[in-house]
Amino acid sequence: MHLDPFELHQPATVDEALCIYRDHAGDADYLAGGTDLLPNYKMHLNLRRHLIALGGIPELGGIALGRLGSMTRLADLEGSGPVAGAYPGVAEAVAEVATPLVRASGTVGGNLMLETRCFFFNQSRFWRASLGYCLKAEGAVCHVVPQKEKCYATFSGDLAPALAVLDAEVEVATDRGRTRIPLIDLYDLRGDGIRRHTLPPSAIVVAVHLPPIARQRLGTYRKLRIRPAFDFPELGVAVAVRFEGSSVAELRVAVGGLETAPRRFDELTDPLAGQQLTEERIRELAGAITRSVRPVYNTFLPPDYRRRMTGVFVRRALVDLAPASSAAA
Amino acid sequence: MASPTPPSPTGPFRLLGHRIPYVEGPLKVTGRAEYTDDLRRPGMLVGKLLRSPWPHARLLSIDTRRARAMPGVVTVLTGERYPTPFGVLPITHDETAIAVGKARYIGDILAAVAAVDELTAERALTAIEFHIEPLPEYADPRVGAEPVAEPIHAPGLRGSNVQKEVVQHFGDVDAAFAQAAFTARVRCRFAGVTHAFTEPLVTLAEATPDGRLTVYSATQVPHYLHRTLSEVLHLPMHRIRVVKPEVGGGFGGKSDPLPHEIACAALSLETGRPVKMLLDREEIFYTNHGRHPTENVVRIAMDRDGHLLAYDIEALLEGGAWSSFGTVTTYYNGVLAMGPYRVPNFRYRGRRVYTNRPPSGAMRAHGGTNIRYSIEVALDELAEHAQLDPFDLRSRNALPPCSTTINQFRITSTSFLRCLDAARRASEWDTKFRCLPYGRGVGLGCGFYISGSNSPIHFTPVMPQSTVHLKIDMDGGITVHSMQADIGQGSNTLLAAIVAEVLGADLDRVHVQRVDSDVSPIDIGSYSSRVTFMMGNAARRAAEEIRARLVNAAAELLRRPPSELRVGHERIEVADQPQVAVSFLDALHKAMENSGALTASGSFSTQKLGGDFKGARAGTAPAYSFAAYVAQVRVDSETGMVTVEKVWAAFDCGRALNRLAVEGQIEGAIHMGLGQLLSETMNYRASRLMNPALLDYKILAPDQMPEVEVLLVGEDDPEGPFGAKEAGEGPLVATLPAVANAIYDAVGVRCRELPVTPDRLERLVRARRAEGYAWKEDR
Ligand SMILES: Cc1cc2nc3c(=O)[nH]c(=O)nc-3n(C[C@H](O)[C@H](O)[C@H](O)COP(=O)(O)OP(=O)(O)OC[C@H]3O[C@@H](n4cnc5c(N)ncnc54)[C@H](O)[C@@H]3O)c2cc1C
Ligand code: SF4
Repeated sequence: MHLDPFELHQPATVDEALCIYRDHAGDADYLAGGTDLLPNYKMHLNLRRHLIALGGIPELGGIALGRLGSMTRLADLEGSGPVAGAYPGVAEAVAEVATPLVRASGTVGGNLMLETRCFFFNQSRFWRASLGYCLKAEGAVCHVVPQKEKCYATFSGDLAPALAVLDAEVEVATDRGRTRIPLIDLYDLRGDGIRRHTLPPSAIVVAVHLPPIARQRLGTYRKLRIRPAFDFPELGVAVAVRFEGSSVAELRVAVGGLETAPRRFDELTDPLAGQQLTEERIRELAGAITRSVRPVYNTFLPPDYRRRMTGVFVRRALVDLAPASSAAA
Repeated sequence: MASPTPPSPTGPFRLLGHRIPYVEGPLKVTGRAEYTDDLRRPGMLVGKLLRSPWPHARLLSIDTRRARAMPGVVTVLTGERYPTPFGVLPITHDETAIAVGKARYIGDILAAVAAVDELTAERALTAIEFHIEPLPEYADPRVGAEPVAEPIHAPGLRGSNVQKEVVQHFGDVDAAFAQAAFTARVRCRFAGVTHAFTEPLVTLAEATPDGRLTVYSATQVPHYLHRTLSEVLHLPMHRIRVVKPEVGGGFGGKSDPLPHEIACAALSLETGRPVKMLLDREEIFYTNHGRHPTENVVRIAMDRDGHLLAYDIEALLEGGAWSSFGTVTTYYNGVLAMGPYRVPNFRYRGRRVYTNRPPSGAMRAHGGTNIRYSIEVALDELAEHAQLDPFDLRSRNALPPCSTTINQFRITSTSFLRCLDAARRASEWDTKFRCLPYGRGVGLGCGFYISGSNSPIHFTPVMPQSTVHLKIDMDGGITVHSMQADIGQGSNTLLAAIVAEVLGADLDRVHVQRVDSDVSPIDIGSYSSRVTFMMGNAARRAAEEIRARLVNAAAELLRRPPSELRVGHERIEVADQPQVAVSFLDALHKAMENSGALTASGSFSTQKLGGDFKGARAGTAPAYSFAAYVAQVRVDSETGMVTVEKVWAAFDCGRALNRLAVEGQIEGAIHMGLGQLLSETMNYRASRLMNPALLDYKILAPDQMPEVEVLLVGEDDPEGPFGAKEAGEGPLVATLPAVANAIYDAVGVRCRELPVTPDRLERLVRARRAEGYAWKEDR
């Protein structure tokens, strides 16, 4: 398998990058660490002839307690003691991404903007051609849910759920200027696996901003996969919680690796504010989340199992974080 | 060269029996070892293969004109040019280098292109046009076992896709079952698994104007490749030279002569230029030749006292598109059940069925893995029914040394009882079995495997299976030639160590030459766990011949009769007066006086073994390895995740000649066995392989390896070199049932379908709970 030739652009500023994108709209991609994009290119997935490298833009770098530049390497985030100390769930999630080699190149921005994944999509051109291309690349049908004209490719980034439960925001640069939006709004479950985020295609993620309050939250990230040392999540559960005394002040739960977008369950967790996190409430919450997720069979493990594990993982995470006084395992 | 450390409990030898680091290790760890893809030749072209996107299709016409006309394309080959069928077994030649008439699986080779670079070659592939007629696709061996509309090859039994049927019956199985006190019946399904060696398949071929053809290839059997190239390309063997550079793992996947090797050589012949062909990982998955997807049913009968009465076995093997080693595999899935226990009555029916999937073939512990699993799991059940400890059941039935099985396998050495004893004690079995808390468990699995195949595939009995040549010149360096194939398992190191041991020489005097058919005498290569036994004996004989000449020369110098001398370290000394000695070099120079360089040849041939019935030779071996493994696991009963905490691996390889290599083989084999048990699967939907990539083909990562305690308890084999047998394949087979039986001990469920992925195990545990019967938690 070879990489088709492309033209590499190396802008020094965000504006320059946006400008290059505009010149080649529809035929350009941003390149961060390349650990997701380039394997996909080798498989001839949605090739573009212009690659705009973000590595030379100083503004996208930098790692500090409240701000992670989008070009922050995952390995640097993992190795950053203060960040890991303040956001334990993020630290757990980043350590679970891929392999040390991938983390040395892979970036925070690339992880958030990761291409969605599917058994029928992450295949060579030969493989896909022999079956017939699918909606997400060059084709007209979905091989997973043929009845629907929609793509169900799975969002498989580990960081998004872990950052989403902290109410992180992303700073985005587009042709129309800068905006800051809640990180969870990058994703939209009503969309599909083709449009994997809500930003315009030219948008650049500049940085992730973390609210300082995160310091007082307890957090964890639990990941389902066959091989801890390599694999994409078949399910990722992130929880952040702040207790006042023995009752919940704030609780957020998010999942990834299940559907076309990561998802947070504020409508289920908000009513728990002020309550004790009893074993029964934990079970109810875990059950409600399990009932609402809809994985499909396009990853290694079957969807009914991944769904059942959603409940198990949510329950275990909450039991582990709850003060000893309120929940019993 | 430092002498190996530490001198451990090893016996009488200076080198053998110790931990000997690989002689090529420094080259490998510094990246200086030369593999086939490291080789470059001037004017070299790139070869690429067009592969079938159809599982089964008749090829009506092929148009290569557009591809040929592309700038940079030197030639395009299709199947008709070299249509001679071949196959690793002489009795089943059903492969062609490039498809002729039909495509038989997704990935089958349709055409080959040689071009100036990779991009040009790949573009040329897309310019080749086909007209085809789609044919019915056969993915399920149960369907193919019946008559079919369009057989994949010439019709098998009753117009089916059955490639081979084996039926054997010894004793009277039905009568034995009628009088049995206990019986067990186990039906298991095994997904296919593949070798996934690290070094990709790669070949470099160079036809030269002198009418010769040189082929460098990542192969574990250079000799079969040599023969096959000659047959298919119609060149006499003496005009073909096969070279094996370093090989990065094979596990059986490089033991067939493979179609891309022949296609690459053909491209070079056609163009007159060197051609290199490097397959990508997806192509390697399609080339496969891995372990057969299998379904087997094992029935065992036992008497009141725990003596085995009979085995009744059925196996259905999914062969994929070609025969490969399949006829042997079909026999092995029955006959390799004949040890390590005495089985007085035995019946077997095995069938191998072609399907429109990548070919199955030989993979580490070939033919012995799946049947071993079912038997060992069934024995665990029988032990439970009979309220016998699993160890006691096995020791009661152990095959004794110097015995003959009912199908006439000759058993010489066996230390199986010592294996059982060592594993039981080291694992503290008696304090753990059925005593650990729910979710944790221990299990026992045992093993039996051939040490070499007694009947080589191509040879008449008079032709040796292994030959080793030695040459020593005045520099004192010892050059060793042999076509044995080091593929990472350490056979070069062993060859050097045996020669050095016999001659009393330092290891750094010995240089094992790269395999090159122009100079290496024939050895039939690295498969069926034969190399240590056969090459080792051949090397020993060659070295002993040289030693005799050195001793005679020393005798002249010392004016003593040769019978009073012995070989010491780098010297030859008087046995009862060791201070009286001549150095190795002085003895050598004396010995060379009238002859020049000393040369010697040693060889090993097998004698006839086995009975006189049809298929009697399948599974006959000059020796057998034995094993008893205990695994300890932790099972998360809610998620189905299994953590293997520790494996106690008691193994009888006879004398371990290089303990470092033997331990490495055992650890590696356990890793491979765990993969097949827990996560690896050739995941097909109908004929389509869903995971032809290492991200989706789940080989366990190093951090998932349990601690392994290797217990080498074998006693010397009477015929093995220095008492050795094999440690390449046998160490795999006990792994799977040991872990499966430990899972049963942990959570009370039997795993009948492999791999035991967490979703499957979670479902089994849930089902057991739903049925309402508890496991250890209630005790
Ligand atoms: C073997 C393997 C295993 C993996 N396992 C995991 C895993 O377990 N968990 C996991 O989360 N990921 C995994 N990955 C995926 C991935 O490589 C990493 O998540 C990594 O963080 C991606 O970052 P990158 O900088 O390399 O992205 P790139 O490949 O450079 O980019 C990915 C996508 O994001 C876009 N993009 C990148 N940066 C920006 C930006 N600042 N603004 C706008 N768009 C941008 C790119 O255009 C591209 O579409 C794995 C990858 C491999 C090869
Ligand atoms: S979910 Fe359907 S459309 Fe999307 S990538 Fe998979 S097969 Fe293609």
